[in-house]
Amino acid sequence: MRHQRVTGILRDICAWGVVLLFMFPLFWWVLASFKPYSAIFSTTPVFFDFEPTLDNYRVTLLGYSRVELAFERGGVGGTTGGSWSYYAVPSIIQSVVVAVGSTALAVTIASFAAYALARLRFNGQHHFVFWVLAQRMMPPIAVAIPLFFIFRDLGLRDTLLGLILAHTLINLPLAVLLLKSFFEDVPRELDEAALIDGASRFQCFRLVALPLVRTGIAATAVLCFIFSWTEFLISLQLTTSIRTIPVKISTFVTSTGTEWGFITALGSAALVPCFLFILAVQRHLVRGLTLGSLKD
Amino acid sequence: MASAKADRMGSHRLVRLPWLPPFLASDHPLPWLAPLVAMLVAFGLYPLLYSAWLSLHERNRFTRQNVFVGLQQWAEALGDDRMWHALWVTVVYTVVCLVIQLTLGLAIALLLDCERRGYGVMRALMTLPLVVPPAIAGMMFLLLEDGEFGVLTHALVGIGLLGRDQPILGTAGTALAGVMLADIWQWTPFMVLILLAGLRSLPREPFEAAAIDGASRLQAFRYIALPMLGRVIAVAVLIRGIDLFRIYDYIYVMTGGGPGTVTETLSWYAGRAFGVADFPYAATLSLITLIVLNILALTFIRVARVRF
Amino acid sequence: MSLREYDRKRYIAGLARAFAERRIDKRSFLRGLARAGVGMSAFAAGYLGGMRPFRGLFHLGTDLAAAEPGDEVKAWLKDVGRRFAGTTVRFTSEATPPTIVANQIAKEEFTALTGINVEIEIVPLEQVLQKATLDAQGQLGTYDLYYLDQSWIATFAPDTIDPREKYESQPELAMPGFDWDDFSKPLVDGISMYNGKMVGIPFDIPIFILMYRRDLYEKHGIEVPTTMEAYMAAVKAIHEAESGNGIYGTTGQLKSGHYSLECDWTCWLWSHGGSIFDKEGFFSGGDADGLTGLDYMLELVRYMPPAATTWTWDGEAQSVMQGIAGMLMSWGEFFPGFDGPDSKVQGLMEAAIPPREKKLRPPSEAGFGEIPHIGHQGGSALALSRYARNPDAAWIFMQWVTSKDVVARSSILGGGASPVRISAFEDPRVKEAAKVGPGTTRHFPAIRWTIENAMGSEPDMPAWAEIANNVIPVELGKLLAGQYASGKECMEAIRKQADELAAPFRKV
Repeated sequence: MRHQRVTGILRDICAWGVVLLFMFPLFWWVLASFKPYSAIFSTTPVFFDFEPTLDNYRVTLLGYSRVELAFERGGVGGTTGGSWSYYAVPSIIQSVVVAVGSTALAVTIASFAAYALARLRFNGQHHFVFWVLAQRMMPPIAVAIPLFFIFRDLGLRDTLLGLILAHTLINLPLAVLLLKSFFEDVPRELDEAALIDGASRFQCFRLVALPLVRTGIAATAVLCFIFSWTEFLISLQLTTSIRTIPVKISTFVTSTGTEWGFITALGSAALVPCFLFILAVQRHLVRGLTLGSLKD
Repeated sequence: MASAKADRMGSHRLVRLPWLPPFLASDHPLPWLAPLVAMLVAFGLYPLLYSAWLSLHERNRFTRQNVFVGLQQWAEALGDDRMWHALWVTVVYTVVCLVIQLTLGLAIALLLDCERRGYGVMRALMTLPLVVPPAIAGMMFLLLEDGEFGVLTHALVGIGLLGRDQPILGTAGTALAGVMLADIWQWTPFMVLILLAGLRSLPREPFEAAAIDGASRLQAFRYIALPMLGRVIAVAVLIRGIDLFRIYDYIYVMTGGGPGTVTETLSWYAGRAFGVADFPYAATLSLITLIVLNILALTFIRVARVRF
Repeated sequence: MSLREYDRKRYIAGLARAFAERRIDKRSFLRGLARAGVGMSAFAAGYLGGMRPFRGLFHLGTDLAAAEPGDEVKAWLKDVGRRFAGTTVRFTSEATPPTIVANQIAKEEFTALTGINVEIEIVPLEQVLQKATLDAQGQLGTYDLYYLDQSWIATFAPDTIDPREKYESQPELAMPGFDWDDFSKPLVDGISMYNGKMVGIPFDIPIFILMYRRDLYEKHGIEVPTTMEAYMAAVKAIHEAESGNGIYGTTGQLKSGHYSLECDWTCWLWSHGGSIFDKEGFFSGGDADGLTGLDYMLELVRYMPPAATTWTWDGEAQSVMQGIAGMLMSWGEFFPGFDGPDSKVQGLMEAAIPPREKKLRPPSEAGFGEIPHIGHQGGSALALSRYARNPDAAWIFMQWVTSKDVVARSSILGGGASPVRISAFEDPRVKEAAKVGPGTTRHFPAIRWTIENAMGSEPDMPAWAEIANNVIPVELGKLLAGQYASGKECMEAIRKQADELAAPFRKV
């Protein structure tokens, strides 16, 4: 009994140690968003010995301009980099729209395909799935430029719909692969029973299989959401006025210096929506991510 | 049996919908796959064909037209030392990161696979690194590893592992490791999640039987759990391996391929060519990446006997 | 924030300053505040109550003369501009101060008067090149104007319309009082001219000047260096005296593979009589003078923070702001930041003209229009695209944004960014701002002198962007990382690649 308790505590210490180690860069980043520059760029690391400031958040989330801030701090003419608005809430909204849209679309298309691959096995399926996977193998930059041309011709350039389609394209291989394994985990007998009872294949899908892979769909949705939320290159190439969060952050790199304060603030703020989404499906996420039928 | 299942279905009427076109109600896979294939062909095939077309041309800098030159770009690329160096860097990067992410991921998954208090929170926290855009993760580590202002540098110098005049990302020997650190930090949680799920769906019986037989926990893990996780691990390795091979964001933010070309991966080298509008050469390099990746993936699938 | 608000706040700040300096009494101060509509706000209370922990480094003038364009310009905008009301002008640019300011005031002034919408896409510099290239190559017309770095001028020359020609050929669209001579000749030559064609209108002019820590100079009795030897001696002196305090002699922007490394290198190359290309168009960075310059730079590296090899101009500026560098030759653009609230060296930095070169190669001996001089310039021009959908509307905007008044205001609103027009240097508002404090313009005299007397410009040829980004800084990076045995080997490696890339453009 004692032995178990000791090993238990040991395990707790190890586990928390590892987790905190992984959290440290994030902690440092969020801390930096409250620091004035002299505390971020100090030769000896500054942990808590600084005067915290909310300015970075006020500029990025509340739309203050730097000039206003500078006036408050002590009156000034211009400030380095001028009075450019770093207001980022529209970016956050756009990112959410694109992420949700592309996730929904990818999961829908992929579930149909995955069900077919799991149940309606056909010749050459192995190669077909490999082809789907291979779509992910081109370097992103090689895909961005041709997509730019296609989208321009289709009039989709710099539209939310266009970006949603592009992100769906990126997410499809992963979604198909994941969902296929979830469908394979559902016992065949259930489908067959339904079929015998006179259901069409589509009804089988809708009424039998789909409800049972709910957790798997949640897991896939989360991963798709994350990939879309964090995608940079293609979003940069295909948009002008739409600025998803990663692209918006890249605009904080100005010719007169990188705005680390705003970058850390926006980066930290951007963690929140995504993390909330994950927390909501966390139970499903871990339970559902089985990448293979282990009951074979 | 069948009627029991039908009862479970409740009030759904299992009737063939007459207005549904016959093939949609049949077992033919085509209609199910049609949207997927349509998307991939429309948006996925064109870049491939366009790149292939480009790779057969050369950009005349004067007229800025693309001139057909057959396989000359390919010959140039295959004879380019810098390309082979980039390929080498990419392979090293992929293999090392994959091995570390897999082993570390497995270890952490085993550690966190526990029902004690707080472990649920820990598992949720471990998903956080995934939520950060890779470019931001790169910036995080850029700050941490800065030669003058970085916490990590400070710590390493303090321990004595690093010389005062060796900025991590500026020294040829440590630059790649510095970049890999960002990747490992961000993607080990990915492996952890997948492996955790795999671990948690393992059936109890074999382990109980092994315990009765007197096997140690380590033996139980090695001979029972590992083989069962095999398929999970295989697919995770495949997905992660493909992404590692195409790595771009971290290099862009942290080292720009430097110092020299020590951290120049194939994607980055192609990106440089794109940057100066040498599209044909960039397309050639991208296709080389694609081909190598295909070969590696196919080999892996064969060796690991993954069946789709 | 609107300009009216801006003016109001400046007025208030001016009052506060006057009060702090005891030029007006409390009553006048309060009355002034009331006039500006300020109640007993925390701001006012703070000044009347206790001390505000501020160094009192107000940078302010009295009142900013009504921040509105002159009547003539307004009338012109309304008359001529209104014809194109409803169209949208687009361009993509780096986040430089003039662009940022233009973005800010375009809506209030330009669009309000003309009805022409302006959409500015702000992205990092590398992306600007990529987007502009894509647009020009495909003749897509996505952008009406191009923001062109001076190193890209040759590449984009065929894609733009000569602004001077347009001005003369279309007088009905010409802005009155534009004054082409207001752009100093070396500036135009260095930034905008290619093969006799004016590719664009100069838009911004970051240029290398000498900046040093006045307090450290005074402490160690160092004089402002006027020769290269004196410069090295000063660096060494500061380094040896202050390294115990964590201060290095100088700092650099030596990130391998980044354009910034190339900029630093040229500064020392040109000041020792070297040039990048010889008059036949072959790479000459490895000749005797070139190697002397390279050795000088390598010597300087010894006195820089080791992390300088991972910094671009960004990290370099941070190192100065955090007080760990004694002096440097770098972009004057950063100078106002040194007086900013985030800086530890507020008021301690001074700007001076660069030291005299040891040896100078005349432009006739250098190739591809290269002009060797110590003051490396990285200016940019605004160019009118040949494929623009709304060329005339874009042309109106272009004239407005480079007009006398906007340029002068932009250099103040933009936080002390150096203007491209001579008149802006003379503008009383700009002169007023030459005090210690954020947005200062006290470095302008040094910049102006350097533009007119010591401006060094890179070669102009279509392959230059590739050489300057992909070849030179990568090889130099290898040298700094110790992967070459000698500077000579490094230059030789560059020579092989540069000569090949430049081959199609040599005049045979």
